[in-house]
Amino acid sequence: MPKLSLMFDNKIMKEVPVGSRPVTIGRSPDNDLPVDNLAVSNYHAKIYFEAGRMVIEDLDSLNGTFVNDLRVERATLHDGDNIHIGKHKIKVDTSGDAPVPWDSGRKAAAPRIDETMVLDTKERRQMLQQAAAMGESMQFASSRMKVPTLVTLNGRTDQKEYVLTNRLTVIGKSPMATVRLKGWFKPQMAAQINQRDDGYYLGPGDKVPKINGAPISGQVRLNDGDLVEVCGVRLNFIFRE
Amino acid sequence: MGRVRTNNEDCYKIVEPLNLFVLSDGMGGEAHGEIASAMAVETVVNHCLDIETNPAARVIGKVDPNWSARTKRLSTAVHLANKNIFKSAEADPDRHGMGATLTAAWIDDAKLSIAHVGDSRAYLLRSGSLLQLTRDHSLVAEQVRRGILTAAEAEESEMQSVLLRALGAQAEIEVDAEEHTLFPRDVLVLCSDGLTRMVTEPEIAGTLQAETDPARASEKLIALANERGGPDNISVVTVRLEKSSKAWFSWLRRGSGKNLGSNGSVGGN
Repeated sequence: MPKLSLMFDNKIMKEVPVGSRPVTIGRSPDNDLPVDNLAVSNYHAKIYFEAGRMVIEDLDSLNGTFVNDLRVERATLHDGDNIHIGKHKIKVDTSGDAPVPWDSGRKAAAPRIDETMVLDTKERRQMLQQAAAMGESMQFASSRMKVPTLVTLNGRTDQKEYVLTNRLTVIGKSPMATVRLKGWFKPQMAAQINQRDDGYYLGPGDKVPKINGAPISGQVRLNDGDLVEVCGVRLNFIFRE
Repeated sequence: MGRVRTNNEDCYKIVEPLNLFVLSDGMGGEAHGEIASAMAVETVVNHCLDIETNPAARVIGKVDPNWSARTKRLSTAVHLANKNIFKSAEADPDRHGMGATLTAAWIDDAKLSIAHVGDSRAYLLRSGSLLQLTRDHSLVAEQVRRGILTAAEAEESEMQSVLLRALGAQAEIEVDAEEHTLFPRDVLVLCSDGLTRMVTEPEIAGTLQAETDPARASEKLIALANERGGPDNISVVTVRLEKSSKAWFSWLRRGSGKNLGSNGSVGGN
């Protein structure tokens, strides 16, 4: 008979057979498969047979039901599938069952997560891999692997080249500035670059810098090859290999 | 829909003599989020307070050898907070799954040390620009960094609550820490996601520029988030820096609010 194995930390906590009656999963002890964890809703999900297929249905749980790391509302289960509920894993064993076609028409339900939850290392890696596989703009992703660099073209700075490692890069005369401008009458903090999730943004300091000849208004995202001008110094922003 | 949590899972502390600011947002259902965030803040504050009596305390976790003693201390404090929450969650099955974010700022003269885990944030308002000093350890932020989502798509995503890193989730974690130089008139803001999900960055920048009193700026930001019906707890700590002849003066103010019954207080000094 097909069975479900509740696992925690790779140890089997409990096994239940799946027969003609649905198996309910949840925090409440009256479930067929009780899971004692706060991330699990009282009545979290149920698993049953329908037209010869084993099906899992999420019962509007707070933190969701994941099958092979994809959040589902309802999905057909296959031998070897891993269900994640909270920090627990449920292994699906349908041995003896005839294979059934995957219900490819069904899309994963849009997740509704109201409460903050944390993915542990393995889940997170898998989820990110999955997300990366779905991502279209991998071109951009690969450009992010390159090292953001400022190269001094004209003007006096303390170095010829700067690799932007900090989340905040200050351009100015201040001894604490990353890009130190030399010479009289240079402002302590002329401009600054902020590393954000989607790129590097140039913002004004005591001066309004120019990008490719045009003065910026507010913070502007830098593109590979942009020319930054501030206080008579010209810097080339590039992503180095 | 609008699920409103009745317990306040945010916690913050301002240690004025040290110019130390710590903010944490807990998670874990029941009262456990609250316990986790309080534990996080307390551990960090205590470890930093110890710097004078026990300056040679062991450094934990990865540190940059160039960091100041304070940055190393602060980073270590966050590692300790993680251990404490993790142990507490292990010891008590009821507390399983509890966790917390943590964002801490320590100002020493013109040097700012930041240590951070989770999706609470630190910002610096400087020359009219709102600079983000922390990166969220959330699934959507990671997807933006990998070029899978745009920043705008991330804001619309329903996966915003999924964190990749939080205190208490694992025995060992990575802590983000960094040092920055402060300039006169910089405004530092620490806030929980209750603010950033409801109020845009231009609005935060505008409020901080229009309201130079940090206490009132914090209150206005919280009021703005509340007007939009933010279901989450909101905490904001605002610090404005002014150069005096001797040192940096900071006026500090924090607040939290929203449908919390017993906890809608705004305090500060």
